[in-house]
Amino acid sequence: MMDHCFVLAKDSFAEFFESLSKLGRVYAPVKVSDQSYSFRQVESHEQIAFEALRTILPPKKYFYPTQETILRYNDVQIEEHKPEIDFQILFGVHPCDLAGLGIMDTIFTAGPADSHYLNRRQSSLIVGLSCMPDKHCFCQSMGTDCPESGYDLFLTDIGDDYLLEVRTAAGVKAVDPIMPLLRAAGQDDESRYKAFWSNRAQAFTNGFKPDNLRSVMAMEWDNKIWDEMADRCLSCGNCTPVCPTCYCFDLVDIASLNGTSGERRREWDSCQFVGFAQVAADYNFRPGPVDRLKFWYRHKLHGFDDPFGFQTCVGCGRCTVSCPAGIDDIVSVVQALQATNQAKTKHDAN
Amino acid sequence: MMQISTPFMPEKGVIRSIVPMAQDNYLFEFKTDTDRLAACKPGQFVELWVPGVGECPISVCSGRVTESIQLLVRRVGRVTNALFQMSEGDWAGLRGPYGHGFPVERYKGQNLCMVAGGLGIAPIRSLWQYVLDHRQDFGKVILIYGMRHSDEMLFREELKLLLQRGDIHVFLAADDATVCELPPFAMQVGRVTDMIRQAAIDHDFQVAICGPPVMYKYVIEELKAKHVTDQNIWLSLERQMKCGIGKCGHCFIGGRFTCQAGPVFQLADLKFVPELIECDNGGAQ
Repeated sequence: MMDHCFVLAKDSFAEFFESLSKLGRVYAPVKVSDQSYSFRQVESHEQIAFEALRTILPPKKYFYPTQETILRYNDVQIEEHKPEIDFQILFGVHPCDLAGLGIMDTIFTAGPADSHYLNRRQSSLIVGLSCMPDKHCFCQSMGTDCPESGYDLFLTDIGDDYLLEVRTAAGVKAVDPIMPLLRAAGQDDESRYKAFWSNRAQAFTNGFKPDNLRSVMAMEWDNKIWDEMADRCLSCGNCTPVCPTCYCFDLVDIASLNGTSGERRREWDSCQFVGFAQVAADYNFRPGPVDRLKFWYRHKLHGFDDPFGFQTCVGCGRCTVSCPAGIDDIVSVVQALQATNQAKTKHDAN
Repeated sequence: MMQISTPFMPEKGVIRSIVPMAQDNYLFEFKTDTDRLAACKPGQFVELWVPGVGECPISVCSGRVTESIQLLVRRVGRVTNALFQMSEGDWAGLRGPYGHGFPVERYKGQNLCMVAGGLGIAPIRSLWQYVLDHRQDFGKVILIYGMRHSDEMLFREELKLLLQRGDIHVFLAADDATVCELPPFAMQVGRVTDMIRQAAIDHDFQVAICGPPVMYKYVIEELKAKHVTDQNIWLSLERQMKCGIGKCGHCFIGGRFTCQAGPVFQLADLKFVPELIECDNGGAQ
């Protein structure tokens, strides 16, 4: 059996939660409307929506707020803004979001490191939670369905109990006070654990195969599908804040009225906004919705050319459910591209 | 846990001099207290911050950066407009240097041709200054500078001195020229491509190019006609480099951050790059 695996009875969850909340503020998915969930601060385990699949925004917002002050200045000096960072616990982070955090970590750690993100990241504990996919989930296709890293603790629902995996030193410290509640995992627990993940693997229904995804994205760069989609694109930018791996930002100055002091702030930005790639003298490198939409899709599915080389879609399905024009259905779009790609390959072969 | 410091901290650069150049271009010289910018290489850029207004990327314009740095700025937007309101003695913020500049070490021992169009002369100036400072390290050196109108010529006085030197061959071209140039200036009516045709460039030249996006394609065609290979052509590309450190995403070309992988790219390295509107070499086909 894996190292540091324990069994936590669901009946004991309240005590587990109490113990976590002694470490700092706990944030978890909460039901906020008939069909939506959001990561919010929770005071009691009863507020947690265990059934939640995708929250409106991914948990990146706790490390990378929608806006934050970077520095303050006046007419004589510039000073870095270093806010007090409280320890925070994120509970109920699903595998796709863990993979998303892993990608954000890579980008913000690459030199020069982003202190604003990393200082918050280092001051937090991540507790992952297993889930069963719905029709929009395709983490399995993107290879992010099994949590590999990015968490301190992970809970797998094995019926009346959770199988608790302890991954990091911070995780060991966090479970220390509740050790009396835990028991070592036995053979039966292992079987239930395997059965859960095996059933979950069978539960993905969309049949999306990301074979040759990178080359398909490259080959279909001029496909007319992009133009058809762009005709419907509102350039609203909804797809980017909801994405667990969209990290683009703008740096803006907020000056005081007298003009002698102010602050420099970082705000979330979106590559779908018309001025995103515009340079001085109004030259725009991505003037049309089609340029911006293609860019976003390519960045997600083909990913970085360098320095990282990986794709940045984790298959959470948030863009699909939040696109008002219904064009961010990644699975259908890629399947259509794959189909034209196959047709072309066959034609070339003939 | 130990907190790390922000990568977005500018240092204060006091404006030491402002020299008005042709049209709406000023040459600013900044003095900083640290030697952070002394590591600047030709073709790199800095983020220039006007407090209360914003930041913009500006190419390093001087080949020698010691206690001061020169930046050529055209008044085109909010930040540059605000900068143009400032006077000597005022301060602005400077961050950098960022990106990969022209690979001067690689150019050493070889013939070099520099091609500048319009405001592209600013980074190219940092290169020629570097090259002339280390003249014995380079073979033949050619400078080609094209502009729309002879009135727009930047660094006129400096170019005159270059024209008098025997160790750099300078070609100047304007689409349109004022007939009575006073004082007379050795330039031709035409484009940079015409100058490339005239210049004694062959396959063993390294070529450094900076100009408006539309220029690259034609320049590359002419260079190919002279058998210059993709490995020897270096392009300085413009994108919206907001953060300068490969984070903010504004400067992406395909899947690469221009601010980190560039702004100077080897043409051979730009094969199969979508979104590369500067030349036909890209495309994902």
